[in-house]
Amino acid sequence: MVALVTGGGKGLGLVIAEHLLSNGATVVVVDRDRDALDALPTSVFGKCLDVTQPEEARTVVASVVKEHGRIDVLVNNAGVIYNEPLVNIMKPEGIMHDYGRFREAVTVNLDSVFIMTCAVVEQMVLLRTKGVIVNISSISACGNEGQTAYAAAKAGVNAMTVTWSKELGRCGIRCNAVAPGFIGTESTHQALSVDSIKHILQNTPLGRLGKAQEVAQAVATVIENEFINGVILDVNGGLVI
Amino acid sequence: MDKRLALILSEVFRLKEKEINIALTKADVGSWDSLKQMDLVLTLEREYNILLTIPDILRMVSVAGIVDVLREKGVALED
Ligand SMILES: NC(=O)c1ccc[n+]([C@@H]2O[C@H](COP(=O)([O-])OP(=O)(O)OC[C@H]3O[C@@H](n4cnc5c(N)ncnc54)[C@H](O)[C@@H]3O)[C@@H](O)[C@H]2O)c1
Repeated sequence: MVALVTGGGKGLGLVIAEHLLSNGATVVVVDRDRDALDALPTSVFGKCLDVTQPEEARTVVASVVKEHGRIDVLVNNAGVIYNEPLVNIMKPEGIMHDYGRFREAVTVNLDSVFIMTCAVVEQMVLLRTKGVIVNISSISACGNEGQTAYAAAKAGVNAMTVTWSKELGRCGIRCNAVAPGFIGTESTHQALSVDSIKHILQNTPLGRLGKAQEVAQAVATVIENEFINGVILDVNGGLVI
Repeated sequence: MDKRLALILSEVFRLKEKEINIALTKADVGSWDSLKQMDLVLTLEREYNILLTIPDILRMVSVAGIVDVLREKGVALED
């Protein structure tokens, strides 16, 4: 099995890549962070790519197919958690959400998933690969205070997941999403204040943050089980936001 | 510290009333983000029947700043 993991240079993507590797897959990671790529375990193949660039994406995906024969699994993990409320009365230069930043957040979290899926599914269809697409969504997809752009992007990811599961089933290609809640990653601790994390823990029935490994296990499950298609699998300890 | 104001602030920021003092600033209160600032403004406007402008709101980043703005709006507050 050849798996391509986007944004696998660090955080959840790296743990997913290592998990798939330990399950016997050949793993290729694409990331825009060159330093992170240099630090990858030697058994993981790394390629530099900004997943918001369609032409570059097509070229890199074609090179992966040339080197490894095919791509069986695409994990669309690259993304950036972005917080900005619609109205910020503390911002004297303008109280409303910046449109440029809205576009940036949507491009990196939603357009990237479309771009990478197009590049990979093209190869799957041409090579008749019965592959799997796994999109990393988020609990925020159902709407989260302070995250207009991020929530909208992740809701879009969920909608594309279900749409593609219906369209691509006829080619034997499955599409699922894994929607993590709050995972104890560096990005979570950067994005959230100590107070917000305390509040989340109080409201999570399991009373703790998730582990990156638990997200990776969910990704492996939706890949392995060949009758799971069009599912958004929550990994959130029972938290409802 | 004015009792009514201390109660309002403790409810908005989910702090104990005894934790509210005149030296407290936005930097000391983890939950004091822009959304909480909006809650604060709406609560103060409702409670004291006043209207706060953006320049007022930008000064309200400490309990002392809030007290100054409220007094300028004619709100009588205990020391
Ligand atoms: N950490 C969490 O608690 C959490 C919760 C829910 C969803 N998620 C989602 O999980 C995914 C990974 O999050 P993370 O917390 O590991 O983030 P992270 O910031 O730790 O890692 C993201 C990786 O993606 C790469 N990346 C970002 N933009 C890129 C681009 N345009 N092109 C190529 N690479 C790019 C970064 O360089 C980085 O290596 C994201 O989609 C995020 O929305 C995370």
